[in-house]
Parts: sequence; structure tokens; C-alpha cells
Amino acid sequence: MQNKNEITLEKHGAVMLLDIEGDITAFSEPFLNDAYKNANDEGAGKILLKVGNGAYINSGGIAVLIQILAQTKRNNQNIGIAGLSDHFQKIFKMVGITKFASIHNTVEDGLEALSAG
Amino acid sequence: MITTNNNRSIEITLANQLGYEQVAMACSACFARLYGFSKARIEDLKTVVGEASVNAMQHGNKGRPDAKVTVSMKCDNETMIVQVVDEGGGIKKFPPKPDIEKIIEEEELITGFGLFLIKQLADQVEFKQVVDEGHTVKMTINMKEQV
Repeated sequence: MQNKNEITLEKHGAVMLLDIEGDITAFSEPFLNDAYKNANDEGAGKILLKVGNGAYINSGGIAVLIQILAQTKRNNQNIGIAGLSDHFQKIFKMVGITKFASIHNTVEDGLEALSAG
Repeated sequence: MITTNNNRSIEITLANQLGYEQVAMACSACFARLYGFSKARIEDLKTVVGEASVNAMQHGNKGRPDAKVTVSMKCDNETMIVQVVDEGGGIKKFPPKPDIEKIIEEEELITGFGLFLIKQLADQVEFKQVVDEGHTVKMTINMKEQV
């Protein structure tokens, strides 16, 4: 029952978009780490994570995302997250993720905000 | 296995395998919808059911493939009462409230988010150990969100 993620990297000017397909759980760790490493190898200073519409995110997935946030902080990168439902926007605020990543309703909003920042 | 009783209650027995918590989450959403829970409260319910089920599988049953997790739900006019039962010995020591700033600075381990979310989203949470029956997490979700 291990979920897999397909993560596509797209460069939009100064922002690297990581488009995450699939649920985000503890099983997402190797997929997200690989994608983040690839973004780093491309010299990304600004990263936008796009979560799939209706994706299931549990506490294991939140832990994986926090590991990525820790790495972006160490590497002085700006990171945003787009595509979250209202429920997961609430959860991410509750957990404190919003202290380390900006939250955007759409990819377009995220790209615009990160590009300007 | 899903059993529907005639007293506004339902019981689901899950295999002790990660991923099956989503079956219980989907059932809880359908069940709550029948009784008019709002979309936001259904999302809260799904999260607490999922997190409690994953905790039961991983920490209660310690990943044993022969173990089971039982999720029962009962709805009255105002609340949904969810009980998640595993075959383990209960929580010996509750993890502290996760501090994301300390976690980011690697001063604290990443742990306790599941329990944190349950406590934040449910209106009432109880932990109960019954000899020879296992450990139960009982969560109450009010139909209307507390403002």
C-alpha cells in the first residue's frame, strides 16, 4: 500500500516548481528528497511545491515536508506551497509550517509572489 | 469488514496496513454527510480518524500484520463519537507538543504530529486501556465547529 509520487520539476524564471502528484505520507520521503536534491543541483533559490488537488496529506507527510523546510532554511532558499485545500491550509497553519513557507491558493499566485520576493 | 447497526452507528475492522486508514476516513465522511455535518467538520473528522488509525497500526499494534484496528462511529444529533481500538498496551508516554522551530533547528525530533492534530481537531479526546481488549482512543467531534 506504499504510495508513490511523481514529481515534475519546472523552472519558471527564478522559481523552481515541484509539481507533486499523489498523496503525501511518510512514503513520500524518498520522492520529495530526490526532487529537492535535483532542484538544488539546478541552483534553485526559490522553490514552489504544488500539491495535487484532493491529495491526502497525513502527519507522516507533514513530517517529510518539515524536513524539506529545514533544508531550505539551511540553504537560504525561499519556499512556498500551492494547491492546498482550505482544510490543509488550516492544518499547516496549526502545525506552524506557515512560519517557514508561504501558502498560495494557486500556482500562479505562488510563482508571482516568490518571483517578486 | 463494515457493520452497520440500526442505532446510528457503524463499525469497521481494518487490516493493520498503512493505507487502510483511508478506508475508515472515507466511511467516516460518508457517515457524517448522512447526518448533515458541514464540509469543514467532515474534513476534521477524516483527519482525526486517519491519524488515530495510523497511530493504532504503527504504535499500538507495532506494525504486526496479523493485528487488527477497529474503528467505530456513533452519531447523535449534535456529535460524532469515534473510537479507534488497537491490540497494544496504550501510550506509555505522551510526546510533547511539537515545536516546529526547534524541529527545524534540529533541536527536537519530528514526532507527535498525529496526536497533536487529533487533540487540535477533536472537541474531546480520551485514552483508555482495557485489560485483554486493547487500547482505545475515543474522540468526539461536534457537528458545529467551536468558534
